[in-house]
Amino acid sequence: MSIRNLELRARVVVEGFWSGLHRSPYHGFSVEFTEYRQYSPDDDPRYLDWRVFARSDRYFIKKFEEETNLRCYVLADRSRSMAYGSTGCTKAEYAATLAATLAYFLYMQGDAVGVLTFDEENRDYLPARHRTGHLRQVMLALEKPALGRGTSLAAPLERIVEMVRRRSLMMLISDFLAPIGRLESDLLALSACGHEVIVFQVLDPAELDLSFQEPAMFEDAESGRTLFIDPRSARKEYQRKLEAHCQSLRTACQRLGIACERLTTDRPLELALFGFLRQRMQHKRGPRRMARSKVGL
Amino acid sequence: MSFLTPIFLLGGLAVALPVLFHLIRRTTRRRTPFSSLMFLTASPPRLTQRSRLEHILLLLLRCAVVCLLALAFARPFFRKAVPDTSVSAARRVVVLVDTSASMRRANLWTAAREQAQSIVRRAAPADQVAVFTFDRQVNPVVSFEQWTAAGPGGRVALVNGKLAALSPGWSATHLGQALIQAAETLADAGGKQALGPGQIVLISDLQEGSRLEPLQGYEWPKNVRVSVQPLKSRPGSNAALQLVSESDEAAPQAGAAIRVRVTNAADSRRDQFRVGWAQPDGRGFAGTPTEVYVPPGQSRVVPLALPQAAGPARYAGPERILLQGDDEDFDNTVFVVPPETQRLSVLYCGSGSEKDPAQPLYFLRRAFQETRRQAVQVVIRQPGADAGRSPALPALSAADLESPTLFVVTDPLPEALAGALRSQVAAGKTALFVLRSGAPANTLATMLGLQRIAVEEASLKDYAILGEIEFRHPLFAPFADPRFNDFSRIHFWKHRRLDAGSIPSARPLAKFDSGDAALVEVPVGRGRVLILTSGWQPEDSQFALSTKFVPLLYAMLEQSGAPAPLPTQHHVGDIIPITPAGLGDKSGAVVFAPDGSRFELPAGEASFSRTMTPGIYTLASAGVARRFAVNLDAAESRTAPLPADELERLGVPLAPQETAVAREAQLKVRLQDAELEDRQRLWRLCLIAALGVLLAETWVAARITV
Repeated sequence: MSIRNLELRARVVVEGFWSGLHRSPYHGFSVEFTEYRQYSPDDDPRYLDWRVFARSDRYFIKKFEEETNLRCYVLADRSRSMAYGSTGCTKAEYAATLAATLAYFLYMQGDAVGVLTFDEENRDYLPARHRTGHLRQVMLALEKPALGRGTSLAAPLERIVEMVRRRSLMMLISDFLAPIGRLESDLLALSACGHEVIVFQVLDPAELDLSFQEPAMFEDAESGRTLFIDPRSARKEYQRKLEAHCQSLRTACQRLGIACERLTTDRPLELALFGFLRQRMQHKRGPRRMARSKVGL
Repeated sequence: MSFLTPIFLLGGLAVALPVLFHLIRRTTRRRTPFSSLMFLTASPPRLTQRSRLEHILLLLLRCAVVCLLALAFARPFFRKAVPDTSVSAARRVVVLVDTSASMRRANLWTAAREQAQSIVRRAAPADQVAVFTFDRQVNPVVSFEQWTAAGPGGRVALVNGKLAALSPGWSATHLGQALIQAAETLADAGGKQALGPGQIVLISDLQEGSRLEPLQGYEWPKNVRVSVQPLKSRPGSNAALQLVSESDEAAPQAGAAIRVRVTNAADSRRDQFRVGWAQPDGRGFAGTPTEVYVPPGQSRVVPLALPQAAGPARYAGPERILLQGDDEDFDNTVFVVPPETQRLSVLYCGSGSEKDPAQPLYFLRRAFQETRRQAVQVVIRQPGADAGRSPALPALSAADLESPTLFVVTDPLPEALAGALRSQVAAGKTALFVLRSGAPANTLATMLGLQRIAVEEASLKDYAILGEIEFRHPLFAPFADPRFNDFSRIHFWKHRRLDAGSIPSARPLAKFDSGDAALVEVPVGRGRVLILTSGWQPEDSQFALSTKFVPLLYAMLEQSGAPAPLPTQHHVGDIIPITPAGLGDKSGAVVFAPDGSRFELPAGEASFSRTMTPGIYTLASAGVARRFAVNLDAAESRTAPLPADELERLGVPLAPQETAVAREAQLKVRLQDAELEDRQRLWRLCLIAALGVLLAETWVAARITV
C-alpha cells in the first residue's frame, strides 16, 4: 500500500500472482449471424446488408449474436466507514487496490471492466468496456476519496440490475457495516439476471476485536454520532453483534451460491487474492459459472 | 477598602463552580473516530465514590482567578478622607406652622408638630431658628432672641413646650401674608448679623383656599428661600356648608328661606349629604334633613325654610345649620342670625299732599323704600298757620320731634317748635330746610340763632345747574367717582338766593353756576342744618327726577346720627365695627362669645376683634342686645391640595426638598468615590493578577494532562 499510484499498485499485485497462474489470456472474438431485421430509422447503417438490398431493394439489418470476453463490474463502497483504518491503510484504500487489481487483471485478459461506486447513493458509473484508456478511467473512479455519509447496498444492486442486461461478473466490495435486510433479495435479483456475484467484505482488524483500551467518545464516521464507549466493557457484546452480522451476510450469500470473502486490511492483498483465486480454481465450473469465461474467476 | 460597584462581588460566588467541577468526575472529551457504531451501545459513566478533590493546586488557581475577576469588576479603591470644602454657614430659619381651621382635620396637626420638632432637632448650634404660627395673622411662638437665649441645650425643649400648648384655630389661611412677614423677619435679622442664607420652612396642608394674592406684587428678598413641607391629610370626603348672603337691598319677604351652599371637594368620594337645621346643642337635626346630591368638585344651593315660630324680624328659633355625610366635621356647621330690619323715621314738616306729584312730599315718600335692612317711615306733620287746615295731616307737636333723626322742613314753624327743633338738632340730628320760597327764612334764622336771614327769589333767564360741588364732604363723597359726579344734567328752573356769607360757620356744599349757594351746611351743636335753596319738585327743578336724589337723601339720613345696622354675618377673625345703639350712647359695650366668655369693651371702642370661634355672639350696649353670627371662612373649606409650584409661579424661591438634598449629597459621594477609584485603578492590578494566575493555571493544567 506504500505505492501511491493505484494502477501501479494493481499492476504489482497482478504481476505477483500472474506468473503463478500459468494461464494465457484468450483473445478470441467471433460473430455469429442470427437473423435479419427490417431497417428502421436510428439503426446503425453500418449493419445494413447491402447484398439483400441489391436483391430485394429493401433494407435489412443483419443481426449477430455477439460473442465477447468476460464482462466484469466492480461495485465499490465509498462511504466514510470505509475511510477508517487502524493499520496505516484504510479500508477504502484496501478496497480500491483490490478493485483496481481485479480490474487490471481482467483488462489484461482482454475482458471488459466496468465500475460503479456508491455510498448512500450511486456515484460514478463506468460501463464495462475494453478500450484504450478505459482502465485509467476506472482507476480514477476508484481513487476518489470515500466521503459518503451512509451506505446503501440496495441502490447499486438495483441500479446494476437495471443497467446491465447481459450476464456479467459482479464484484461487490464493501465493509457491509450497514443493515443487510434487503441485501439477500437484491443479490437474488442480481443472480436471477444471470450475473455471477462475488462479495468481498473488507474490514479493519480494530473493527473485529475493538482493540481500544481507554474509554472514549466514539464518533461514527458516517453519521457523526458520538457515544461514550468503554471498550473493555463493550468489546464482548460488540464482537458478538459483529460476528452475528457477518454470519448473516455469509449465510445469505451461501444460500444464493455467492462467494463471500472477508478480507482484513492487515493482510497483504496479493496473498488474500491468491488464496481466494486458488479457492475459486478448486470450485471451477460451478453450476452458475458463465459458460464463456476463460479465466478461473 | 471600598468598592465602586460592589454588586460585582457577588460574582465571587462563582468560586463554587471550580470546586463543583473538580468534585465531578470529568468525562473524557477525546473523540475516537470509528467506522460504525451500529454494534456499540453507550457505556454508562463510571461513578467513583471519591469525595476528595483532585488537583488541589489547579483548583486553588482557578478559584483565585474567579475571585480576582470579581474583585476587578467591583472596582476596589481605598477611601481617603476628603476634606469638606463647603463651609457650612449658620442658617436663619423661620418655621411657619399653619394653625388655620383646615389643620383641624385628622392627624394634620400632629404631623405638623412632629415636623416642626424634627426641624428644630436637626438645627445646628450656630443656626438661628424662629417658630411662627399663622392663620389670618402671624403669631410668633419662639423668636430669634428667645432661641439664642435658650442656649443649644434648651432650644428643643423650649420649642416643644410652646408647640404643645398650641392647637389649630378657626381662622382662614392667609399664607401669602404670612410668607411675606416671615421673609421680612429674615431679611431684618440678616441685616443685623452676618449670617448665612435665610430659609422659611413652611409646614402647612397647602389647601387651595390659602390666600396667596399678596405675593403677586411682592419683591422677594434675596437669600431667602422657602422649603415647603406639605402635610398630607387622610384621604376622605369633605363637603362644606356656607350661607348664601342675601342682598340688603332686597325687599323683605315673609317666610323667606335661608339658602345654604353645599360644596363638595374635588377629591371626595361621597356625593350624598344631609342638610338641615340643627338641635340647639348642635348634635343632630332638629327636623327632617334635606338630602342633597353633590358630585365631587361641584356645589349645590339648598333652600332651608325657617321654622314657623320665627320670623325674619325677630328670630329666636334654631340658629345653626348642620351638614352630615362627609368625613371632616370642622366646616359642617353654619350659624345663622337673620338680619334685623332697622326702623327709622323721617319727619316732614310742611304742607302738600303725598299724592300730588307737584309737591315735594310726593317724591320724599317714594324715595325711602323699605328693604330687608332698613324700614324708613316718613312722618308728615303740618306746622305753623296751616296746621289743622288739612284734616288728613296732623299738626306738628314737640313730641313728634323726639324719635326722628332727620327733619325735612319746607314750611315755616312756630317759634316754640323751631326752638324745640333746634335743641334736637343740637343733640346730633339733622334738619334739611328746603326753601321752596322765602317763607321759612324766619324759622331758619331762629334755628341758626340769627336775627334774620335774607332769602330772595333768584331771577333766572333760563335755568341753573350745579357748578361747584364739595365732593370731599361725606354727603357727596359717594358721587366722587367720575362715573357719578355729573350733576350738570339737573336743571333748576327756580331757586332762592341765600347769602351764605352772612351765616357764621356756614359751608356751601354745592353752588349753582351763577355762584349762588345751592346746598349749605351749618353746624348746630352736634347736629347740622342743611339748607337747599331750591325745591326738588318739578316746579322748581329736575332734582327729584334725577338719579342723585335718592342717594343724597340716604346720605343725609346716614349722617343724621341714626344708628347704623349691625351686619349679622361675619367670618372668624373679622373685626366687627361697633356702632352705637343710639344717639347719646356713650357707655361701653359687652360682647358675649358663644363659649360663654364675656368681653368688656371700653367706651369709645369702635370695633371688636376677638371673634376666634364660630358661633353666635351677642353685643349688648345701652340696654340693646344685638346678635351676630361668626362662621368659618368659606375659603377654608377648599381643602384640595395646592401644588407647591403655585408658590414658585408667584416668585417664591423654593428650596429643594430634603430628599433631593440627600440625593445630591449621595451623588456627590459617588462622584468622589469614582474619582478616587479612577485615580487608584486597582482593578488593573486585579486583572493583571488574574491573568498571571490564569497563565499559571494553564501551565499546571498542561503539566497534569501530560
